Amino acid sequence: MKILFFTGKGGVGKSTMAAASAWQLSQKARVLIISLDPAHNLGDIFGVTIKNEKKKFTKTLFLGEVNLQKLSREYLEQETSVLSNTYSYLKTLNLDTYFSILKYSPGIEEYALLTSIEKTIRDEAGFDYVIFDTPPTGLTLRFLALPKVTITWIERLMQIRRQILEKRYTIHRIRGTLSSEETILDYREEDDDIMKRLKKLHDNYHTLDRTLRGSDCHVVLVFNPDVLSLRESERLVEGLRELGLPLRLLINNKVTEANQVMAEHVERRMKKAAGEVLLERIELSKTLLDGEKGTLYDIRERVIPDSW
Amino acid sequence: MTTLIIVIGFLLYLILYFTYGKKLESGVVVASDDNEAPSKRLYDGVDYIAARKEVLFGHHFASIAGAAPIIGPALAICWGWVPGLLWVWFGNIFIGAVHDYLALMASVRYDGKSVQFVATDLIGKRTGTAFYWIVFFLLILVVAAFAAIVGNMFVKTPGIAMAYVLKIIAALILGVLLYRTKLNFALATIIGIAMLSAAIWFGYLKGIPASYNTWMWVFFFYIIIAAAIPVNILLQPRDYLNSWLLYAGLVLGFLAAVFAFRGFEIPAFSSFSPILLGGKPTPFWPAIPLIIACGSLSGFHSLVASGTTSKQLAKESDGLFIGYGAMFTEGFLSTIVIVSIAGFGYTALQNAGVTAEQLNFENWGAAFTKVSGGAKLAAANLFVQSYADMVNATWLTFIPTKIVKIIAGMWVASFAMTTLDTTNRLARYCLSEMALPLKDKATGLYNFLTNRWIASVIPAAIGIWLAASGNWLIIWGSFGAANQLIASIALMTGAAFAAKKLKSGFAGAAVIPAWLLWITVTCGILWFVIVVQPGAVAAKPGPGWTVMIILIVMLILNFIFFWDFIKSKAYKVE
Amino acid sequence: MGLLTFIKRILSDFDTSHRDSVSALTGVEVKELENIFALLLLGSFIGLPAPPSFLAVELMPFMERELKVLNRRAQDAGDMLAEMAGTIGID
Repeated sequence: MKILFFTGKGGVGKSTMAAASAWQLSQKARVLIISLDPAHNLGDIFGVTIKNEKKKFTKTLFLGEVNLQKLSREYLEQETSVLSNTYSYLKTLNLDTYFSILKYSPGIEEYALLTSIEKTIRDEAGFDYVIFDTPPTGLTLRFLALPKVTITWIERLMQIRRQILEKRYTIHRIRGTLSSEETILDYREEDDDIMKRLKKLHDNYHTLDRTLRGSDCHVVLVFNPDVLSLRESERLVEGLRELGLPLRLLINNKVTEANQVMAEHVERRMKKAAGEVLLERIELSKTLLDGEKGTLYDIRERVIPDSW
Repeated sequence: MTTLIIVIGFLLYLILYFTYGKKLESGVVVASDDNEAPSKRLYDGVDYIAARKEVLFGHHFASIAGAAPIIGPALAICWGWVPGLLWVWFGNIFIGAVHDYLALMASVRYDGKSVQFVATDLIGKRTGTAFYWIVFFLLILVVAAFAAIVGNMFVKTPGIAMAYVLKIIAALILGVLLYRTKLNFALATIIGIAMLSAAIWFGYLKGIPASYNTWMWVFFFYIIIAAAIPVNILLQPRDYLNSWLLYAGLVLGFLAAVFAFRGFEIPAFSSFSPILLGGKPTPFWPAIPLIIACGSLSGFHSLVASGTTSKQLAKESDGLFIGYGAMFTEGFLSTIVIVSIAGFGYTALQNAGVTAEQLNFENWGAAFTKVSGGAKLAAANLFVQSYADMVNATWLTFIPTKIVKIIAGMWVASFAMTTLDTTNRLARYCLSEMALPLKDKATGLYNFLTNRWIASVIPAAIGIWLAASGNWLIIWGSFGAANQLIASIALMTGAAFAAKKLKSGFAGAAVIPAWLLWITVTCGILWFVIVVQPGAVAAKPGPGWTVMIILIVMLILNFIFFWDFIKSKAYKVE
Repeated sequence: MGLLTFIKRILSDFDTSHRDSVSALTGVEVKELENIFALLLLGSFIGLPAPPSFLAVELMPFMERELKVLNRRAQDAGDMLAEMAGTIGID
């Protein structure tokens, strides 16, 4: 299964490019395209309403939209109910107040996003291509950074946890059987719920991290032949490099005769920033130039190279 | 005579425990098992865990027992054997043990909070802060006092030094066995005891000869290193070995004392003010609490009792056995010390070359301190020798005297040395609390003082420097002063607690000793500052002034405390 | 109580007492580590830089003891002198 991430500033035609790629690839393979962008253009582009997780467009092309807010809320509710049950007797923590704050805490949105991506990758192995249309730059960089950051934290917490278990084991060995009044504390890694959970999370993130950097993952950057787009795109390139994520294709979208010079200038700069990366030019379709509403079928060029 | 005194002491403690002690329990503290102890009420499996009273007694006693109940009584022999004994008996029963017991129970009623907290609550915030300061000085002085004692012992009997060094190695090995290899506990214990015995045997065969100053340097580095490494490596296993040493020493000492059947060979009473501190006549009142601390009365015990013991008390009625009873046990220990020196000390001195002309019943008060110091048989050394001779005089004489000396010496050395690095850890903490007001006003200085290494070096350096300066009787006296100042504040707090919170009818049993103690300690420190210290300053200005400043600061804190105490009307029995 | 039982009782108390004291400081260390663990995890709620809060949410259901320790330490942190004195076992 190959994974494609379409990134870029808002308005550059990212969703359209993603959609076009999906359509083109679905001629020969099974494709799933998911929009993570809160703007939700996918449905409009294909001319359908996407209500559920997956909507069948053709036999080989499926569409999906992720509702970030709903996802975050659902995730929180699930954990809330577990906590309420476990801690109903702890009078020291005022649980209600705690959870209303959680709604705004940083990271929940990104995590919800990452979880849905991870779930998709895991569950939809039947597809040959899974295409993700990502949200605007900032959010994208943040959630792409999550696996690495999280892994570091989890490892550190695991280290402390190990020390705790190790010392508990020492005490247990020396003191022997405790009196019945005392609670028996876990000291073996297999018994400790926290350690087990930490390990599972670590594995999940590790797998995800590997997948994202692997050879089957391709990040596509879409930009326009203008200076504003250039600046943000350079930022994105830098961010992707820092994260070690595989940027494999640059698309210069909406090139016309009028902005040729600018297009070349921007392309030069992008090549300099990104190094050895494939670069393609997509021309603005004649339909749009003439002022009429265009569709994705107007895109004549082959977006995704055949070699992928 | 030795046997007689032991038996009388034992009976005295026993009878008064059940009469006076019980009256304290019912009349002052009004202990009742209907009040659930914090260990049950606030049980959290963390600090608040109920412990069986016998086990808790063991812990508490081990925490308060040490080297001081030995040194103090040995010094007090200058008054003859009666005055010191009276203080060890009656000072303990009516003041010292009351102090321990009240500190424990006040803490229990305050949900396990420390006596420092209770003082802050009943008297004022300044009193709570004063604890950090006085304890800090106490820690420096105890380092100085104990380092000097051990240094002198090592010089006099190099075999003890050898045994001690080997014991440290044994502790390190034991630590690895217990915590790394997770060897079976009983097996590890046996190996530990075997290594300890081997250490003593080696000390018997060969000693480590070194000068006093060399030992001072060694101790300095020992403190810094030992206080910086994790507790599993040295501290915990070492303390464990020490407890076995304690048992050996106690059992041997008790058996020897009971079966010695020896008459006393020193005067019962020499004079009211024999020459002791700083070569000056030292009046029994108010100086005796400064000389004999643990064993009779010690401020430090209030911290231990209200720090951990109170949180583990299973029920209120256990308090008397643990708080009051443990102190009695320590008093009994001091009784054994006095008895052994009274019975064998003079002979020991004569064997060391002291003539009857230099020291006899007539000039005992004037000459004892100087002569014993000159013969290098003062304090710890005198005890070690007397103890060995005592064992030798009984059926236990089959044990070579030198080995007994090493056991006794190791006993004192082990407990003294363990104090050295543990106090350093605590001193670092005190320093950071004391420096807190500087945090915003003088950030550079604050950072300097709270740096890990600086905070470790400062108390160690001052302590060792004072020890090296040689005038350790002054140091012992000022250590006693600091310790008893804490005791005084703690007992006043306990009395305030009894009067204000408990409103018990028998509160007088707490309030009267509290006042007596405060007056005694204040007069004691004043006497020290005015009569004794100027001589020390003249002799050695550096250390002399250091101690003088510490004493004066403590005196000021004392009066501030008193002012706060009166203002808070904490003394009013309501 | 028979003499034998009495002696056995004393010996067993001895044993318990020793085992406790040899592991006491380790116990203190464990408590502090649990405190630190909880602080790191939940620190974001009191302004400390902390791991993503979802980690806290994920692990919270299992952190009953750690939260107890955190709570106890937060209350006691200002009153530690006596406790440390008793624990380290100075004379």
